[in-house]
Amino acid sequence: MATTATNKELETRRTVRPVGNIWEEEGTVMLRLEMPGVTKDNIELRIENDQLFVRGHRDMHDEDQTYVIRERVRGDFAQTYTLDDTIDRERIDARMERGILTVTLHLKEAVKPRKIEVKAR
Amino acid sequence: MNLVRWRTPGFDPGQELERLQNEINHLFDLDYNDRSMGLFDRATSPAIDVAEQNDHFIVYCDLPGVDQKDVDVSIASNVLTIKGEKKMSERGEKAKIFRKEEWAGSFQRTLSLPKSVDPDRIQAEMADGVLRIQLPKREEVKPRQISVNVS
Repeated sequence: MATTATNKELETRRTVRPVGNIWEEEGTVMLRLEMPGVTKDNIELRIENDQLFVRGHRDMHDEDQTYVIRERVRGDFAQTYTLDDTIDRERIDARMERGILTVTLHLKEAVKPRKIEVKAR
Repeated sequence: MNLVRWRTPGFDPGQELERLQNEINHLFDLDYNDRSMGLFDRATSPAIDVAEQNDHFIVYCDLPGVDQKDVDVSIASNVLTIKGEKKMSERGEKAKIFRKEEWAGSFQRTLSLPKSVDPDRIQAEMADGVLRIQLPKREEVKPRQISVNVS
């Protein structure tokens, strides 16, 4: 099962849920997740059945540092979202910019609101 | 090092009570994330790390989504101030919001530096939403290796 595999991965390393905004706009569902310190190459984005798995790996290099103050949250940013049937699995875009991951999920054409022209005779 | 937390002016007891109630509710929320909300609001006073090395200190500050030009790092009589503004993400007026946890507004963090820091050689850079400030120590306080000759 997809969910068990996901849970196993989460158990090996400490993870935190990324803070973010989720909204629907013009036929897309946008996910904007704050992942400071995560580079483009350290993002893992995967779909398994109806689960969207997001993980941002960040390395703090704690082993070779002596801290005077240590407040920043440790661990990877990870979260699993469940997608419903309205999301087009083939059209998912992601962008990483200034520590923010933006995922664009497109709605299937069939569920997008369609305007039907009324013809006058 | 001393830390001075920045506070917004004005105090509204009613609002504070409501905030406390929200925070207690949050404690029972498994989805609760202490990074952006909570008794120690990390949004108006961002979390920092200060690492010490032989010849310098490094300050790391998480500022996701903050533009480089919106961050202002200044130093006055050994007090380092990080301040700036975080802007809300752009979205249309018709957007249907499901989750809104992002915070926008101005923030500030002040840090008293030890005397050993040389204020003239401070460097700051932003990468992947993390501000990194390098504070070199003065030459005279750096640990020196003194070689001992065994005859």
